[in-house]
Amino acid sequence: MAGSILGNRVIRKEDPKFLTTGGEYVDDLLGEPLLAGAAHVTYVRSTVAHGRIIGIDASDALSAPGVIAVYTAADLELQAMPATFNPGAKRTLLASDKVRFVGEPVAAVVTETREQGEDAAEMVVVDYDMLPVLVDMEEAMTSSTIIFEECGSNVVFDSTALGMPDNTGDALFEGCEVVVKGRFINQRVAPCPLEVRGSAVAWVDGRLYQWLSTQHAQGAKDGIMATLGLSADQLRVITPDVGGGFGAKIGVYPEESLLGMMSKKLGRPLRWRETRSESMLGMGHGRGQIQYVTIGGNRDGKVLAYQMHVLQDCGAWVDMGTILAPFMTRPMSSAVYAFPKVECRTTSIVTNTTPTTAYRGAGRPEATAAAERAMDMFALEIGKDPADVRRMNLIPKFLDKHTTVIGQTYDVGDYETALDKVLAAADYKSLRAEQAKRRASGDVKQLGVGVSIYVEITGGVPPMGETAKIEVQENGRAIVYTGTSPHGQGHATSWSMIASEQTGIPMDMIDLVWGDTDLVPVGGGTMGSRSLQQGGAAVNLASIELVDQAKKLAARLLEANEADIELDRDRGVFHVSGTPAIAKSWADLATAAKGDGGLSQESRFTAEGASFPFGAHVAVVEVDTETGKVRHLRHVALDDAGRVLNPLLLEGQIHGGVAQGTAQALLEEVRYDSDGNPITSNLADYAFISAAELPSFEVVHMETPTYLNPLGAKGIGESGTIGSTPAVQSAVVDAVSHLGVKHIDMPATSERVWAAIMSAKS
Amino acid sequence: MSVYMPTTVDQAVALLAQNPGACLLTGGTDTMVEVNFNHLKPGTVIGLRLVSSLREYTITPQLIQIGAGVPYARMETGPLAEALPALAAAARTVGSPQIRAAGTLGGNLGTCSPAGDGLPVLAALDAVVNLRSPRGIRGVPFQDFMVGVKRNSRVSDELIESVSIAPTSGYQDYAKVGVRNAMVISVASVCLVHDRHTASVRVALGAVGPTIIRAREAEAWLATQVDASTSLPPDEAVAIEFARRVAAEARPIDDHRSTADYRRHAIQTLTRRLYLRSTK
Repeated sequence: MAGSILGNRVIRKEDPKFLTTGGEYVDDLLGEPLLAGAAHVTYVRSTVAHGRIIGIDASDALSAPGVIAVYTAADLELQAMPATFNPGAKRTLLASDKVRFVGEPVAAVVTETREQGEDAAEMVVVDYDMLPVLVDMEEAMTSSTIIFEECGSNVVFDSTALGMPDNTGDALFEGCEVVVKGRFINQRVAPCPLEVRGSAVAWVDGRLYQWLSTQHAQGAKDGIMATLGLSADQLRVITPDVGGGFGAKIGVYPEESLLGMMSKKLGRPLRWRETRSESMLGMGHGRGQIQYVTIGGNRDGKVLAYQMHVLQDCGAWVDMGTILAPFMTRPMSSAVYAFPKVECRTTSIVTNTTPTTAYRGAGRPEATAAAERAMDMFALEIGKDPADVRRMNLIPKFLDKHTTVIGQTYDVGDYETALDKVLAAADYKSLRAEQAKRRASGDVKQLGVGVSIYVEITGGVPPMGETAKIEVQENGRAIVYTGTSPHGQGHATSWSMIASEQTGIPMDMIDLVWGDTDLVPVGGGTMGSRSLQQGGAAVNLASIELVDQAKKLAARLLEANEADIELDRDRGVFHVSGTPAIAKSWADLATAAKGDGGLSQESRFTAEGASFPFGAHVAVVEVDTETGKVRHLRHVALDDAGRVLNPLLLEGQIHGGVAQGTAQALLEEVRYDSDGNPITSNLADYAFISAAELPSFEVVHMETPTYLNPLGAKGIGESGTIGSTPAVQSAVVDAVSHLGVKHIDMPATSERVWAAIMSAKS
Repeated sequence: MSVYMPTTVDQAVALLAQNPGACLLTGGTDTMVEVNFNHLKPGTVIGLRLVSSLREYTITPQLIQIGAGVPYARMETGPLAEALPALAAAARTVGSPQIRAAGTLGGNLGTCSPAGDGLPVLAALDAVVNLRSPRGIRGVPFQDFMVGVKRNSRVSDELIESVSIAPTSGYQDYAKVGVRNAMVISVASVCLVHDRHTASVRVALGAVGPTIIRAREAEAWLATQVDASTSLPPDEAVAIEFARRVAAEARPIDDHRSTADYRRHAIQTLTRRLYLRSTK
């Protein structure tokens, strides 16, 4: 028998299409008959950050070429809807009383062509009474201007209100020889998927069809049903190819929910696709924390206490970003360390900026960044090597449940081995020697080495499990239906590997269906690095149970005992033990099962809990001490995702993650002026990273399988982002720490590094 | 909107005379951004891509002439790069390969953004901009051509036909600070040209003032310190003082890309480095 395909570098079966004809994204659905004659929707967006709407005059727009309709909240009779995480915050999907951020949709223009929409939208005149603008979270906390009046405060969510213990202040650090405090900015960034948001809708016999660029069709269906008051059988959500999401396409946006409503009024299919500039304003942003961190311990390097107060910027809605701090950052505040005392309080605050949402890592990168920055500052203060200080404080290796001081239970962890391996691969000692040489010679170009160790939560968002169905056709091909939603992750390849391994049906005979709520009614989508450990495990389970079912059928056809039936995986046929010549193929069985409802198996895998992948990264940078310019010279990444299904896909995730994490450390930041005007709303002003800023990545493999699923797999989709950001930031500070610099906030732009050097000198 | 696609310079000039204020279009790398943001609504467009003579350049020992339609991609390597290394260096920092294949020096001159990467090079090389109209050809020195932020002294019936540059003998280079390594708008840039023929060192600054700035006072000071008719001395003290004086002539502002302080500092550092490199 040939060896297992699992664990091999199998090339992606998706790619021939993407590399030749290209994907079919929502904007490419030109041949879809149900969308024939579709009109285009363009949203009129608020140009002020905070204001009361006095009037909306659409008369000029209505007479502009190609305009079919202009809708306001009043026209659509929109009701204010409360936010899930704080019902005091209410808004209509098109702003009616107030606008709260630049880019908030105020009206919708429907036109024959998209270009007419762009012109007509500019002719809708909105009168505003300006209100004081709150861009800064800390100002918003104490301001008498309240963004959502019914909340009574701009603080809309606080961990203490949930019954989580408050911080005890300096008392926690009694008995510490050294106490270091820091204020770290984990800046707001834009997810920037290359495909921006888009959707198309058509009503067919009282049923709404909605094509949506999403990470989670089934969740989107629930959201749209609730907004439009539809029953489950009245809505079908279909996911075409999706060009990236990074968390920002998990939820449903107002621009998407409104389409069905307008289409019904007009009796016409509608299309909507935002521009890049709109996307920078309207799609959710990520991160956005200010962290007040205190760390204390002994001069020998032992940390005794760690405390953090996180301020989370929600932007101008109580959206998913609000709860990342209490439910993702806080549980991970013990990080990889056995700190005896840990406290963390989180406070989420609304501001007049784009609402924040999940973005690759979603709350865990922030926890890691804070802990790693604190460890560096502590090590610097006591004059010890930051890798050594980390090692002294790590949670020792555990292969069964471990509960941290903050109260989070991890599955498996072996942080010290990860650290050892990554330091060896980077040749850490030589790097320190080279650094010492450059410091001694006063070289203009100084070397910086950053080490980070992390642990994160994956597959931690309910429902803790996934459904898969596998269906064998009479021609012997199999169709796998999955509740996950690939948009770059390679599920067509991975899920066929798993199904093929169990059934012997060749990979190229297995097709994947996802993201269509008629075909896959139940699914958790792709987010939070859950897909392989839950969706893949479900495919594995369904495949195993399908084989059991097929054996029963083969036994009947071959007139043998079920126990004597063997599956020959190399040939994909069933036969009686010892008589391989007389066999039934999958096609035979599917044909035989035709009258009995066909040969198919649906199974649900339920995960016992989240898994906690970990890793260690070493970043090497060169800093030009005169200009502040940072060159990222090397990046060594060890990301332990448990048992690896396909190293090629694993490395792809790590590479993308490291690039995105480095981007936050060095370049990217969403910024506003004091009036709340976005000043980074295109990819020229927003310093999206490119290959020209990155080295070739060095990936170090380590596999500590989890017992939580039969595949032994933990998540990998976000790890690279979580490990890389603090390593790179730390490397930059390390390069200039001998000049007196203790901390540089992200992004470490040339100017900011230069300013830090100047301020340390003076 | 009317779009004309002339094939000769004469046709283009005649069309421009008939349509004063028409939008002249070459690579469109600046113009299309303006159009997309509705800042520019051209009634008439004269596309110049088919005017082949605009896409030519000539190099003689006496004069280098570059057609306004020569794209940056052709300045990065080859004879133009050998004749004008500073222009090649500047061309390599423009946008991406796609942008450099489309964008032209003539377009940069037409837009006259202070962050235009080609412009400090033209300023430091004392280039002459040749403008064609029904009245004939008018040669305008670059310093008189660019008169403000996105303003130049071209009158509405004039076509930017080419630039003329007298070859220099000596080191020349261009250095730039931006927020990333590619696809980036300049935060500060410096072009330094050493010419033994004219015994001069010329420095022009980009993105640190409403126009490209020639650091003439610093140039004059340097002329009292070194003999530019021969190799420049690798004198660190001279380099530092020269750079300090050059930076003093910059007129940077704070904006969303950078602060005035950092821009001035960047100019000083880049100038010192370019001077020292020129002595090697």
